[in-house]
Amino acid sequence: MKPPVSMEPSPSPAAQRRAQPGPLRVLVVAGEGSGGLLQSLRQWAPDLAIEVEAAPDLPRAVRQLAAQRWDIVLAVLGERADDDVTWWVEALRGAAGSPQLLTAAHRPSMGLVLRAEKLGVLDLLSLPARREDLQRALERVRAVATEVPLPLPEAEPHAVGPYALVGQSPAMLEVYKLMARVAQSSATVLVQGESGTGKEVIARAIHLNGAKASGPFVAVNCAAIPENLLESELFGHEKGAFTGAVTRKTGRFEQAANGTLFLDEIVDMSLALQAKILRAVQEREIERVGGTDTIPVDVRLIAATNRDLNEAIKQGRFREDLYYRLAVVTIRLPTLAERGDDLVLLTAYFVRHFAERYGKRIGAFSDRALELLRNHTWVGNVRELRNVIERAVIVATDETLRVEHLPDELRGEEAALPDRPSGAHLTLAEVEARHIARVLARTKNQIGAAAEVLGIHRNTLTRKMKEYGL
Amino acid sequence: MREPLVQGVPPLRVEKALALLPDLEALAPLRSLLVSISRPDERALWSSSGPYLTLGKRGVQPEELRRRIPQVFHRIAGHLEALFTAYVEALECQQRGDGVGVVEALLTAGRLEEGVGRVAQALEWYAVALRVSQGLQDRHPEVGTLQALGRACLRLGLYAEGARHYQRCLALAEAEFDQAAAIAACEGLGKIAQAQVEWVGAEAWYARGVRLAEASGDQRRIGGLLHELATLACRKGDLAAAGDYLRRARALFEPLTEALAMAQVLDTQGQLDVQLGRQQAAAAAYREALAWLQRAPREPSLESGIRLNLARLHLEAGRFLEAEEELRRAEQLAIGDTLMRQLVEIYTMLGALRGRQLDETGFVFFEQAIELSRTVEPSSLAEAQVYEEYGLFQLRVGDRETARAYLERARDIYESTGGATELEHVRKELQQLSA
Repeated sequence: MKPPVSMEPSPSPAAQRRAQPGPLRVLVVAGEGSGGLLQSLRQWAPDLAIEVEAAPDLPRAVRQLAAQRWDIVLAVLGERADDDVTWWVEALRGAAGSPQLLTAAHRPSMGLVLRAEKLGVLDLLSLPARREDLQRALERVRAVATEVPLPLPEAEPHAVGPYALVGQSPAMLEVYKLMARVAQSSATVLVQGESGTGKEVIARAIHLNGAKASGPFVAVNCAAIPENLLESELFGHEKGAFTGAVTRKTGRFEQAANGTLFLDEIVDMSLALQAKILRAVQEREIERVGGTDTIPVDVRLIAATNRDLNEAIKQGRFREDLYYRLAVVTIRLPTLAERGDDLVLLTAYFVRHFAERYGKRIGAFSDRALELLRNHTWVGNVRELRNVIERAVIVATDETLRVEHLPDELRGEEAALPDRPSGAHLTLAEVEARHIARVLARTKNQIGAAAEVLGIHRNTLTRKMKEYGL
Repeated sequence: MREPLVQGVPPLRVEKALALLPDLEALAPLRSLLVSISRPDERALWSSSGPYLTLGKRGVQPEELRRRIPQVFHRIAGHLEALFTAYVEALECQQRGDGVGVVEALLTAGRLEEGVGRVAQALEWYAVALRVSQGLQDRHPEVGTLQALGRACLRLGLYAEGARHYQRCLALAEAEFDQAAAIAACEGLGKIAQAQVEWVGAEAWYARGVRLAEASGDQRRIGGLLHELATLACRKGDLAAAGDYLRRARALFEPLTEALAMAQVLDTQGQLDVQLGRQQAAAAAYREALAWLQRAPREPSLESGIRLNLARLHLEAGRFLEAEEELRRAEQLAIGDTLMRQLVEIYTMLGALRGRQLDETGFVFFEQAIELSRTVEPSSLAEAQVYEEYGLFQLRVGDRETARAYLERARDIYESTGGATELEHVRKELQQLSA
């Protein structure tokens, strides 16, 4: 029985504090040359409903963060502002009460503004600080309490060993149909899909629904294993076959006898080893490294890759004959972006899964958090989503997953949401700088590619990057 | 003519690149460059092999290596020029009959070598300086040279030789009323004794150093020696004394805003808190140590070490995600600054972490650690430590036979290198395995 989902979860301690009319506790970390910031804050404190305390520097602030709970840390960035902001974000990670980071700097560059945003910093104030800027930032902190909790939908997971198949999107239904058709046959299957789309889960599902379900499922990650060890890992070795062969070892082919051998990231194998795999598949027998006996093996082979095998064949990095042996049936997995509302179901499933693992009771996610998840570009697909939710569950302190629980990178994307709470009006230059930064991030800072996306000459882009401090 | 670069060709794996590089001393800067510019393949980061990424699986672009070669040459040329200049200065001093100047120039050359990690070469310069200084009437140059020799011997693990130099340094320094050199000699002798597990001797030397430093009012030296005493007390298991020494060291360093020293003291404080079972306090100490480091001159080795300690803390508490994050940050630092010994430790711990998750593929980290401990910066002791953890990993994932073989390998190496404490530890593990 799942615990009943609370429709109106209580807000987190941090959110409670922010929602209450009581003052916000602000730790100001300002050394010399902060332009009288501390004095100004103390003067504004009654009107802004804040309590202000000070620390002279980062180390002593870290000490105060460990000793007491704070709502906001307002840090004045020094000459190495770019480094400072990174250190501050790290210093606040794991601090009790999840305080929000507010930064201030003299004449901050556009690059610094974007960097702070990317790192999930609440705001970057320009010194000397203006009361209205600070007030706007405080409103954003208080706005956290306005996030609406949405109960977790039922994900209806289908257990697959230690994993689960979750999703009802048309793209996944096609995968399920094909999977059901091939499972009962003994055909070799090639699973293709981007990183994190769940190739191993599909391979396990085929195994569990196939004729060899009672046998073992053995997975080998070909890209993870050092090249000089992969052969012995797959085929085993005799004692003393090479330095380090301290005992006789049974290889993965033998371990998978009467079951399924899953070869993940198959394209990362050397051509010599590919030839040996081909032989094993064709003749259904292997030889251990350093051995002379031929050992018969009866395994179902499922291979997977996130690369374009045809391209690898063209480049001479993958054997064409092995490709045709492996790709008797090919299953292509959709990306998370192609799976539509599966993202919500997967999120709900992972929230429940990790809440159980970490002994937490979480029954909802906030509308704002979900919006951020929907807007994010999931390069790592389901694996990345799983990772994000695990971290969020670890830091969550109440029954609703909120924006404040998401990793810095995702919170940094809040600025891109259309209805950012209490967001300032942006100038045309700021909008342009943000757009350029986003395109650069997507193109992994490749200026040529970014210029092409933006439809401008690369020299123009370089000039604008310099202008905005990107 | 070189072939033009082919666009879109994936980077070469570091494991393949290193396999093509002969183990020659002259190529050490090239090896360091290769390691430091290596990057994880973007495509691998979220792939199923991402969690198992090691140095060997990172990528390197030959073209980038080619582009960076002039920078390395520039650095090497700068180093050699400074060395040669120091030597010429020594000659000029010799010509003028300025013996003190000759020694100072030779010591400068040695310090330059030490600065780039060529301690054995530094020792050669110091040996020449010693010969010259022994012929001088003024004993101060000899005191300085003996101090440098002691330090270099300590770094190279030449304990008997190092102790001899420090002893002589102390005797001369006291005769010459050179308080600073006498304190340094006491500290050096304490470190040598500590390295040889001679706790009583080490404590006595440090205490003597503290007395001398107190007499001269040198707060920094007092703080440094108190920190050494704390480290020693931690190792001896005298935790109350360690706490007291650390408190005193912090009280001295904080008003001086000695950021690096504060970071070191807090790192030790964290280790002490762990021994006392105060996990939360330990985490706070490590975090504060990292914050102090941000104010100190860049010290990647210490930062990486603190992150390793923080990771160990998370690992013991079963917080695997946080442990891995810290280890990956430490890995980034270690690779960027080619801190190979630390990289061995990092991979060993990543392997242990996978073992705790019963993930068999975690063996790749141990294999990488062994490879590094044998090739890039050979260390038998480091190799033995990896084998010990590798054995425990195999035990966790259920392969008792391989576990025994690796623990025996660790035991054999400890027996030959003389790691007494570690040997006792691994013997106990083997006994438990047989029981």
